[in-house]
Amino acid sequence: MAAMRRQAQKIRAPRRGIDQESIDFGITWKNLEVAFKEILTKNASKLSYEELYRHAYRIVLKKKGQELYIAVTTFIREWLEQNVCGKIRKLLVPSLLTTLADGPTGASVNERRTAGDRFLHGLKDAWADHQVCMAMMADVLMYLDRVYGADMRNPSVYHTCMDLFRDHVLLADSGSQESSLKSVLLILNAIVLEQIQMERSGDVINKAEIKNCINMLEALYQSGSETEDQRLYITSFEPDFLEASKMFYQHEGEQLMREGNAETYSEKVTKRIKEEQERCRSTLSESTTHKIEEVVELELIANRIRDVIEMESGVRFMIDNERLVPLGLLYDLSARVDPKKVELTKAVQKRIIDLGNEVNKAVIEASQPPPPGAPAVPNQQTAAALKWVEDILSLKDKFDAIWLESFRLDQAMQTSLTRSFADFINSSTFSRGSEYISLFIDDNMKKGIKDKTEEEVDQVLDKAITLLRYVQDKDLFELYYKKHLSKRLLMNKSISIDVEKQMISRMKIELGNNFTSKLEAMFKDIAVSKELSTGFKEYVASRGDPDLSRVDLKIDVLTSGTWPLSQDSSEEENATRPKVIYPPQVARVKQDFQNFYQTKHTGRELTWHPDKGTADLIIRFKNGQGSKSIKEVNMPTYSMIILLLFQDLPEDKSLSFADIQAMTNIPPADLKRQLQSLAVASKTRILKKVPMSREVVESDEFFFNEGFRSDYRRLKVGVIAANNRAETERERRDTEKKNDASRIHLIEAAIVRIMKQRQTLKHEQLLVETVQQLAARFKPDVPMIKSRIENLIEREYLERVEGSSPAAYKYLA
Amino acid sequence: MVLRKTEIEAALFAENEAISAGRLKEDNPLDLTDDFSIFCEACRRGDLKVCQEKITAGVNINARDTFDYTPLILASLCGHYEVVRLLLESGVLCERDTFQGERALYNALTDRIRNLLLSYDYSKSTNPLQPLAAHVASLLLRTVPKTSDLALTTGSETFRLHKFVLAARSPYFAKKLTLAPETNTWRLPNTVPSESIHAAIQFLYLSDISRGFGGEDHEHDILAGVGKLSRTLEIDRLFEYITATDKRWMRQQRDEEVNRGRDELAAWFTDNILKYKINVETSKAADVKWDRNNGIFADVLLRADEDSTEDEEEKQGILEEATERLSLAPSSYIPIGPMANKSRSPSKARKSSKSVVFPAHKAMLLRSEFFNTMFCSAFKEAQSSEYLQVIPIDCSPEVLEIVLTFLYTEKTDFPLDIAIEVLFAADLLFIEKLKVKAAQIISTLGNGTTSSMDAQAQAGVEGEQFEEVLDIYDVIRAGWATRVQRLEEFGARYIAYRLENYIDQEEFLELVKESAGRVEARQETDTIELIDDIRYHLSERFRLRFEDAGIEEMMEEAEMDAAIKDSLEPEQVIRTLDGEDVEDEFAQDYHNYRMLSEKIDVLLEQLNLDA
Repeated sequence: MAAMRRQAQKIRAPRRGIDQESIDFGITWKNLEVAFKEILTKNASKLSYEELYRHAYRIVLKKKGQELYIAVTTFIREWLEQNVCGKIRKLLVPSLLTTLADGPTGASVNERRTAGDRFLHGLKDAWADHQVCMAMMADVLMYLDRVYGADMRNPSVYHTCMDLFRDHVLLADSGSQESSLKSVLLILNAIVLEQIQMERSGDVINKAEIKNCINMLEALYQSGSETEDQRLYITSFEPDFLEASKMFYQHEGEQLMREGNAETYSEKVTKRIKEEQERCRSTLSESTTHKIEEVVELELIANRIRDVIEMESGVRFMIDNERLVPLGLLYDLSARVDPKKVELTKAVQKRIIDLGNEVNKAVIEASQPPPPGAPAVPNQQTAAALKWVEDILSLKDKFDAIWLESFRLDQAMQTSLTRSFADFINSSTFSRGSEYISLFIDDNMKKGIKDKTEEEVDQVLDKAITLLRYVQDKDLFELYYKKHLSKRLLMNKSISIDVEKQMISRMKIELGNNFTSKLEAMFKDIAVSKELSTGFKEYVASRGDPDLSRVDLKIDVLTSGTWPLSQDSSEEENATRPKVIYPPQVARVKQDFQNFYQTKHTGRELTWHPDKGTADLIIRFKNGQGSKSIKEVNMPTYSMIILLLFQDLPEDKSLSFADIQAMTNIPPADLKRQLQSLAVASKTRILKKVPMSREVVESDEFFFNEGFRSDYRRLKVGVIAANNRAETERERRDTEKKNDASRIHLIEAAIVRIMKQRQTLKHEQLLVETVQQLAARFKPDVPMIKSRIENLIEREYLERVEGSSPAAYKYLA
Repeated sequence: MVLRKTEIEAALFAENEAISAGRLKEDNPLDLTDDFSIFCEACRRGDLKVCQEKITAGVNINARDTFDYTPLILASLCGHYEVVRLLLESGVLCERDTFQGERALYNALTDRIRNLLLSYDYSKSTNPLQPLAAHVASLLLRTVPKTSDLALTTGSETFRLHKFVLAARSPYFAKKLTLAPETNTWRLPNTVPSESIHAAIQFLYLSDISRGFGGEDHEHDILAGVGKLSRTLEIDRLFEYITATDKRWMRQQRDEEVNRGRDELAAWFTDNILKYKINVETSKAADVKWDRNNGIFADVLLRADEDSTEDEEEKQGILEEATERLSLAPSSYIPIGPMANKSRSPSKARKSSKSVVFPAHKAMLLRSEFFNTMFCSAFKEAQSSEYLQVIPIDCSPEVLEIVLTFLYTEKTDFPLDIAIEVLFAADLLFIEKLKVKAAQIISTLGNGTTSSMDAQAQAGVEGEQFEEVLDIYDVIRAGWATRVQRLEEFGARYIAYRLENYIDQEEFLELVKESAGRVEARQETDTIELIDDIRYHLSERFRLRFEDAGIEEMMEEAEMDAAIKDSLEPEQVIRTLDGEDVEDEFAQDYHNYRMLSEKIDVLLEQLNLDA
């Protein structure tokens, strides 16, 4: 490479202009100064950037950077003091100052607004000009910034000039006597606050103008360090603004409370919050949004929400009158200050319990036996149960709607609502919840779901499950449900087995396998029995005995223990109870079946329940002609047994009550009931009674009623009191007693389980854990647990730990 | 994540397959030319100067020699930190997870080199032309200042383009624009989808083309449109370029295209801008008038004045005007600098000072922050005027040409003798890359590590020649003035290797003083950077062979040996720098080192400094 030859390689010294020669700082600076003046007076378009830059460049290169920096800042400071400040001060007309100092006296809103506007506009212009000019100067002094500034870690020229604007314009003396209006900055704050105040009271103000000035405050910093929280806006304006707002909203809160209308209150507050948000967006800074919200929240919500909720037009009024929108607003406001919404929740819960207790009370009144003399209402209890369920459900619907619309699907709120429902449904003054719900299902299964579409049926099931969720004593419900279900199954009262099974599977989801396993077993028994019946029929047919085919047998074989049969609970009673004597043709079938069953399941004992079965008889009456005298009658098994006694009896012979009892061995109470429906009920009076009276007594004589007439060919003999209905007081006590008995076992089992695991445990803890374990099934009461503990100690499962206080127990293995 | 050896081998195999199938181009082609073997040899020896020369001459730095060595591997293996740095700065390929890349890293002699390789964004070394390409591409998006001079409309879309880019990149546009240079709008038929046009424009502007084109059907239309455009614009490779899919192939294609684009721009630059530069007398330079509609689409004129003295005079004139009121006579303007060199005869300067005026495009000048600020501002230069504005630039025409060449083409091909001038110009105009380049040229061509003794040994008495190659004082001061750390380091190394020549000079004393003064608010115990650096390199120079072993003990032994040997007859005489006879080369080095260190201490004492 030619250029690389040794001689030619001598490196050329830099140009003299750059390196060797010095330049005169004074002269070069004068040039720059003249040019800067042109810039400040907006005459820059004639200036050559290159020339100005070159001047600055050379000064810096000659290590005169510091002089230049100082000269520039001094120049700008003087400019600001001499030119800009004067202009700003001219805008501070005395009237403006006095109104700011003394409050709105004299001058009208309009005058004040115009004067304020003018000031803001002037200040904004000065600021905008300053920014533009400083940017141009910074361009010219780019080299200074990069080289001298970086070496010395000086703030850039631009930033320094911005600070100068702050110090010599904004913090300049305003000439006012008031200490709160001493500087231009303070006046600016006061004017902006005044304008905001005007806007709050409904005037229209020039937002853009304010925003510009706010932007200026955001661009400037309190001190040299340019951190976010040192912005003038944060240090100077914002605190004033928040303080002023606080005063304003305190006052407004008082005024609104005086008006005393919860609806307008929530509307107004919601509107205020929205306004403040909007103000922060359009007029002030977004960063203030959160802070001003807090002020409003504190003054208008946190301090007052409780009073608002309890106003006459408060939550109670809104719930009762379905004012969902204002209630929603109230909810939103509460949610702003309290994530748990304690006050609101409390008010709503109280209302639910009040309304629930009203429902309970109404039902209890309705289910009171009618005063003597008044006509008895049929199925009074059932009707009360259904009404109760309907009322609860409509109450639930109402609050669901409120939850959906007003409480924005708030989860915690839902939990509280549920708890309140559970509270009144399980309230100690009302103990029929479980029974009523079971009755409601029973009614629907038997009648309600007839002609309903699948969806409607689904709805009914949903409702039932919803209610079931609230019930705490699940075991009691199970007991009732079993009872009702067994009657439905045995008497074939269910409209649809499918729906029954759906119900069970829903309960399974809701309450677990444990709860439904016995119910399912009942269904299984029914299905197995059907098979048995057909199997038996085939068995009989295969034997080819024509005589036997005269009596058809449909049998339900029920696993003992699964079904709520009265005999279950009292084995000994069962044993001593006299066996019912069947008519021979029936007894044979019975014996046959027994044999047949033994071949299938050896070792199982069948206990017969004639009180649960029915029979179809075809009866020919002497009177009447042809087919009319032949009736097909469906009746309970007992009735069948009784009627068969009359089959071979001469027409004029009668049987006395005692005779019948002796011949059939039917328990007297049952017998009395049967005879009542056969001989007293007008529609099915197949027997005649002497004497004729409403009551059956032991001395009565019975004849077969040959003259029986009926318009129908098929008849059904009902059993009095076999109807399904709500329990009487006595019956319920029975049920509860039974239930308590089963609870005793559960509680003991739970205690033993817990103690076996823990070995020793304090009394309180044991109580808590026991309640916890049993919560899924029922809510045990404490005295019962205590008595069980005593009992277990007696039976040496547990022992007290000597001398411990509070009491503690130890498990004995 | 490091790949296992087998994986790298598999990758190498796949790469070779792809290369032989023509799907890839070889990153490291075999190069058997003499130039390349000289280059490799230089890398082996660590000869910075030759390396720089060869790189400037355009040797392929990514090629390999007969033994499959690439220059980077050689430099790394032989432990030449400076050379490795030079190669990396020159854009050598060193991809991790490739065979050659891993070799360079694995073979690195020292940790320092290894860390350098890793720090150099080892995995994605970019094409050194990338900044240029990125700038050209950014022109499509830039709206302030306005630089586009042609609006291309198709359907509803309008693209704001630059005639000079189009003319440089597409023969079709070149022809059309030569015929009608004043055109400023261009309508394309609606038949071609605008996405195709967009892609083609991105291609012309060296931008990364976004390849995914919407849905299948649409994609077909777009590709058809691109095909059509590539025929119209006479750029056959466009279609192939856009349809490439393999990642590496795409990268190679792109690199190739960027190189081609640079070459096209460079050719256009030479054929137009340099061709139309105007040499005028300085006094008339300001009157050069160019119409806005000119054949080479220039939108600004740059002026550089030949003779700096005249430049001063002229500026003085301006100053006079401005300061008239101060009634300062021109004579009062007296330079104070130590090297005041005003004695050059003014008559000679006034006789015929020349200026050169370069036509230029704002679009490219924007790469300099100086011009960017200028054209974005509200000053005179940014206003539109009837004729093109003439903007004087404070440097010589020669340097301005180098600056323009760099801005248009990324080429930095200039000799050492104007490197300092370029450095200052680049600093003035805020072109960071050019500064780095200038510093690189000075520090590589400046022969930093060739010890004066070696040179003396070779050249005998002529050793004094070094003083003529470069004025190291200028270099160090320029480094300080323009804040290029590397020059200070270079200067320290340079001086350390020739310390005996400088240690007694008055000017060296001055320099040390200046260095000390550079530390703001200097404490008694603060170090002087320059002296520290010199000491470091001095120890390098002499102790290189000793590793870090206990030199003192060794020397004591050596002295004892020498004492014993003294009694015997001396076989060969080795002399130190101050002419004493010593035992062997170790002893010589040690002696020299101690002597020079002592001198530095004396110097510092003299300056009343402690370091």
